[in-house]
Amino acid sequence: MCDHTNRNIYLPHLVTVTDIIDETPDVRTLRLVFQDEQLRGNFSFRAGQFAEYSAFGAGESTFCIASSPTRSGYIECCFRSVGRVTEELRRLEVGDTMGVRGPYGNSFPLEQFYGKNLVFVAGGIALPPLRTLIWNCLDLRDRFGDITIVYGARTEADLVYKRELAEWQERADVRLVKTVDPGGSSPSWDGQVGFVPTVLGEAAPAAENSIALVCGPPVMIKFTLPVLENLGFSDDQVYTTLENRMKCGLGKCGRCNVGNVYVCKDGPVFTARQVKGMPMEF
Amino acid sequence: MQKYLSRHNFYTLLDTLISGGIRVVAPRMTAGIPLYGPLGESVEMVLDQLPRRSAKEAFFPVCEDIMSYEKEGQQVRLTDVEPASFPETVLVGVRPCDAAAIPVLDGVFSWDYKDEFFLERRRKTTVIGLACTSADDACFCTAVGLSPADTRGSDLFLTPLADGGYLCDVCSDKGEALVADTINLFSEPGSSTPLPLAAPSVPAFDLKKVKGWLDGHFEDPLWDGTALRCVGCGACAFVCPACHCFDIVDEGTEKSGKRRKSWDACGFWKFTHHASGHNPRDKQPKRYRNRIMHKFKYYDDKFGQTLCTGCGRCVRICPVGIDIAAIVTEINGMAIECTPAGGETRS
Amino acid sequence: MINTIDISHYGTVAESIRIEAARILGEGLVTAVVAYTAGRRAGSVQPAIITSAAEAERLTFTAASVNNLAVYLTKAKKDIPRSGRIGIVVKGCDLKALVGLMGESQLQREQLYLIGIPCAGVLASTVRPAEPLTAGNLAPKCRECDAQLPEGCDYVPEIDLPLPTPLESTYAAEIARLEGLTPAERWAYWKEQFAKCIKCYACRQVCPFCFCEQCLCDRNKPQMVDTTPRPAGNTAWHIVRAMHLAGRCAGCAECERVCPMDIPLNLLNRKMAKELKELFDYEAGFAVNEKGPLTMFMEKDDQSFIK
Repeated sequence: MCDHTNRNIYLPHLVTVTDIIDETPDVRTLRLVFQDEQLRGNFSFRAGQFAEYSAFGAGESTFCIASSPTRSGYIECCFRSVGRVTEELRRLEVGDTMGVRGPYGNSFPLEQFYGKNLVFVAGGIALPPLRTLIWNCLDLRDRFGDITIVYGARTEADLVYKRELAEWQERADVRLVKTVDPGGSSPSWDGQVGFVPTVLGEAAPAAENSIALVCGPPVMIKFTLPVLENLGFSDDQVYTTLENRMKCGLGKCGRCNVGNVYVCKDGPVFTARQVKGMPMEF
Repeated sequence: MQKYLSRHNFYTLLDTLISGGIRVVAPRMTAGIPLYGPLGESVEMVLDQLPRRSAKEAFFPVCEDIMSYEKEGQQVRLTDVEPASFPETVLVGVRPCDAAAIPVLDGVFSWDYKDEFFLERRRKTTVIGLACTSADDACFCTAVGLSPADTRGSDLFLTPLADGGYLCDVCSDKGEALVADTINLFSEPGSSTPLPLAAPSVPAFDLKKVKGWLDGHFEDPLWDGTALRCVGCGACAFVCPACHCFDIVDEGTEKSGKRRKSWDACGFWKFTHHASGHNPRDKQPKRYRNRIMHKFKYYDDKFGQTLCTGCGRCVRICPVGIDIAAIVTEINGMAIECTPAGGETRS
Repeated sequence: MINTIDISHYGTVAESIRIEAARILGEGLVTAVVAYTAGRRAGSVQPAIITSAAEAERLTFTAASVNNLAVYLTKAKKDIPRSGRIGIVVKGCDLKALVGLMGESQLQREQLYLIGIPCAGVLASTVRPAEPLTAGNLAPKCRECDAQLPEGCDYVPEIDLPLPTPLESTYAAEIARLEGLTPAERWAYWKEQFAKCIKCYACRQVCPFCFCEQCLCDRNKPQMVDTTPRPAGNTAWHIVRAMHLAGRCAGCAECERVCPMDIPLNLLNRKMAKELKELFDYEAGFAVNEKGPLTMFMEKDDQSFIK
């Protein structure tokens, strides 16, 4: 829903916080509804796109839109409070107003995934950019082949979307492999113990007619890519998202570039081949 | 189209515009230094010194409000800034290096999303350029493909003549309209000869080759060698006519305040620093590399233009003598040595 | 010309620096030498960090050797390789900064090999580097220099020329002028000066005493100083800076030299130094003090401000 009229491109839309979900002690989901009635019905985006979220008085922060484009009437964001804006967003209560600009950036080429098996690989707080796509695909379940989700975090407490993990675990049409790092499990833990790349290797999803979607901290990505390569995935079969510091999200302010690539405009979704062609500046 | 404008009529033109309610912005002394600012009368104009900050601030101010917010209970009211309210402006005494940077900036501010703060000022501003008859050894416009008489970015362009008047080139419809409105001040060009133009001393760069070298040298000893002494201030970016990076911040009280857009610089460590603590450009040489890459490669990749017009301001003001003309001269030398096949080596 | 300043010994000084730098690097006494080399523009000089004896031949010293190189030894400059002892070329004013940094436990004397300069002055920032040095274009700080011959260095080139006598201080005169204004007039003056500030932080980045790993202005939880270059944030920044340097700044005037907007920043620092002298009989930069007057309490301290 690109707005290319000559309005103020920096002006956010007002949204109301309608639901607050604490995913972990410091990670929170906010469900947001556009105050403008027309926009509430019209706001559309694609999985993978991001937005600039305003806490008025503190500023703006960049996160993906974590809800699925198939669920209309609201959007969700998910963030860890680490900076001035996210701490302010954390203070918001149900009924409070914040701002949203977007959607920005490119998206996952969903239509190209039709008929293919999907392997989602995520670590820690990096599940939200894949969660939007996971629900998008589950809501259009018959258009895709097998769906495998490998998700891990440092400890059980650090797993986000716990209720949805339980839901995916119940579903016969999803294979969920959840894991925590060694030392991060309680006696009642019913998942794996081990680092995401190792667990992915053991789960060994077939590469043929498959797409892998990987989001996680740089170290996880670094060790996951060779595992996928061993499983037979080519660099064109692997997608990830980059997250650089942004201010405008519009290709103007000049700080999110990796070489000549503007993450806000050319990304945030890239194939492993594209990422390998970039200078090491992310 | 060329016209003659006497020195007296040049000043009369500006005073006529000012009394007609047009905002006339020109270099003028401000707390001891020449800066672009609105003139109260034409005699305030100072044309013998390059303003410390470039003409970009007439389109992209050091800091501007982009909206305001007011909170009341759980509600927030936003007030937009209407670019339509920006005043009609005539920007005068703009040297070719400053004027040429303006259309270069159109690239970033108008691709895809339109930044109306910049673009509306562009629409409402008529630029009167002025040829240079003197240069210092920091000037290098001729090295980046411009000249002391380049009319790029100017709507009218004045070349100083021996009799103190100016030869006025009409370079655009806007320029033509301004001349038409004040036609009695202009006459047909006479016999007075133009003063000799300035001659900057830096030999011309082969910009294609420079870019070609940069394409293959993201990693190179040059960056540490030239930028280890960089102290990480933003002076070079802020005085630059083409640097356009900015920050967006909220300033005000709990209850109300403004959202502002203000100049930012890739030399600051904070520029790319993530809230998590990760910083993709964690060392000063990496930040300096981005500056050179952005000017001579990335902007060309994206918008087909070089993001440097050779004004020399950064050379003059760098606290530690970092000289972009010397660095690009070095790159130019290495680029010329490179074989076209890209099998170059650097000793 | 009558007011030309004799700097004919700078050639000998430069040659001595080259020989000494080559020697200490060659003998492995130091791992690096921070000094000056010539730049591209006529007469221009820039800082250089060299690590081999062979590079020493590039070194120079002229009236354009204005930088206070002490900034490269602070922890704020993390990218400068630091191992073993480091050689550094210092003028008397630069040495004061090192003395201050030692007092604040930022540096230790034995880490340094000091090459001192018998200094007759350097050029003001407002003139081209190739101009001959005169009383008229001398850097304002040099007019009142009390440290032409740096003391306690490891090596100082011997010269047989008498150094010029100091001139009347232009800072003192300007401070007296400002002190003579009404508060409203003074406020108007500084408001106009600070209005030019573009928050490039060149003043901070060249200051040897601005070594905070994260400046107050770069922190945003809470945002103590507005970041945008507007009146409130500009004024707050320059006042914070002046206060933080009071009793520490030894007057190298680098902040003022590098300001691209010509804000007379050293006036604030000199005013603070004057207050410190009057209130505590203290001058920064002469002795390695454990604590300056503003970081300790003594019963004889002036307490008249407590009302």
